Amino acid sequence: MKLKDYLKDKILEITFFLISIIIIFLILVAFKINYQVTISIIIITFFTYVILLLIDYFRKKNFYRDLLCNIASLDKSYLVLETISEPNFYEGKLLYQALYEINKSMNENVKSYLEQLSDFKEYIEMWIHEVKIPLSSLMLNYNNKNIVDVSSKLSLKRLENYVEQILYYVRSEHASKDYLIKEVDLSKVVKNVGLKYMDDLLNSKIAYKVSNVNNKVLTDSKWLEFILSQIVNNSIKYKRNIKNSYIKITSIDYENKTTLLIEDNGIGIPSCDINQVFDKTFTGINGRTLRNSTGMGLFIAKNLCEKLGHKIEIESKEGEYTKVYLTFCKNKYYDVLK
Amino acid sequence: MLECGDIMHKILIIEDDEIIRNELEKLLTNSGYQVLILENFQDSLNEILKLSPDLILLDINIPYINGEVLLKNLRNYSNIPVIMVTSINSQIDEALSISYGADDYITKPYNPNILLLRIGAVLKRTNQNFNILNYKDLKINLGKGIITKGRKEIILTKNEMIIFSYLLNNQNRIVTRDELMTDLWNNDEFINDNALTVNISRLRNKLNDIGYKNIIETRKGQGYILL
Repeated sequence: MKLKDYLKDKILEITFFLISIIIIFLILVAFKINYQVTISIIIITFFTYVILLLIDYFRKKNFYRDLLCNIASLDKSYLVLETISEPNFYEGKLLYQALYEINKSMNENVKSYLEQLSDFKEYIEMWIHEVKIPLSSLMLNYNNKNIVDVSSKLSLKRLENYVEQILYYVRSEHASKDYLIKEVDLSKVVKNVGLKYMDDLLNSKIAYKVSNVNNKVLTDSKWLEFILSQIVNNSIKYKRNIKNSYIKITSIDYENKTTLLIEDNGIGIPSCDINQVFDKTFTGINGRTLRNSTGMGLFIAKNLCEKLGHKIEIESKEGEYTKVYLTFCKNKYYDVLK
Repeated sequence: MLECGDIMHKILIIEDDEIIRNELEKLLTNSGYQVLILENFQDSLNEILKLSPDLILLDINIPYINGEVLLKNLRNYSNIPVIMVTSINSQIDEALSISYGADDYITKPYNPNILLLRIGAVLKRTNQNFNILNYKDLKINLGKGIITKGRKEIILTKNEMIIFSYLLNNQNRIVTRDELMTDLWNNDEFINDNALTVNISRLRNKLNDIGYKNIIETRKGQGYILL
């Protein structure tokens, strides 16, 4: 709140005051009052007014300065009411009360949405668990029939992957912590993902080349399995029609981190799309032209990585390769505890 | 299995979904296990002890009592191997179950071949002398990868040994290529279809060399069987 703006706002009041001073001055002159008395009256009236104006200005100034300043500095500006005290002038009080009421009603509004959302998430989780039961019986039934029907098997797997995707989407958005960080063998995770996609890999004649993954990292094995699944799934989906398609998985151990590298010789990602592959529902040129893609897999993978404190990076040359780097930090504190 | 002098393992299924229960029963029976089913969930603990199975497949969501609680109670009386089977895919639940004394934890929907491998692995862990198998007059040393016949010795590669021991453990029934492939991948051998064919023919040649001709038969469209 600048003095200049404040005075501009008060321009009507000031004008009236000046006019009335001139009128008083003219009246006093007309009645031929002593010259000195006239001057003193004018000066006293003038200064009294200026002082009143300044007092009013400073009272308001402090309140509005705090308000605006705090709004600007808070990342959640709706919390500003908590940071200022109730002002001691009438308009301020009105504003303060109004803000309080608005805040309260918005909180109630938000709360009802949160409740709806958490009900919905709960229902989705329950639904996922329910849908897995018939899915399991279908898989068992398929197996017991002893027929080789690759397409229905792959369809079942696809169904399973979509169900998993939504489960982890809910988990990654949920504030609650349903993960457990412990020491996990990378080779085991790589193996489980391989087993999960064995039929797909064999069917699309992609070699699953694993070397040097005998490192241990700190992570949640289920979450990591899901993240790796999404990467491998993409490699299968976007393979090139060449003879020696492969997915190579290796890990590199550094002093303070471990990196898992997943490399394929698929169609790659156009350079104009590469920066957006982790964006929600981003499908890009490949997704639009080649396969139906939801654009959710890598988004969820990135989200989960952020929660677990891992780094996920992607590098690609269109028509040649795609490399995904998953980086896990080593925790020295954890080593000390061991 | 019976003919190799092994006892037929009894597996108890504790699962409230009838369709899954029946399919599981079929799967396990076909794989040479004797299947028991828990009918009375009200008094699960006593039922289990009465049936005294060699292994239990336990669902977490069962009527009357939570599977984890049942497991905890069971561990006060018995060390029967237990594999938890559940649709809840979370590391926390897994850790909890293991801490209550579960031997393994599998999430639905599971690959049936992997389920069989895990069951085999748990049973193997509890039956110690599994490292040396016998087939007719052959001694198979799994750890060393060696088959001996009297003084004669043949060395199998890791892949050949995985295939041979799987066939041996599932003697008298047809083993699908899919099962063999799953077992190989489960042992970190991520090979393709051609390599499997090559490995099987090499294995046949080696067995041929020590006088066992045509003991691995191909059943067209189904798989292989060890006679």
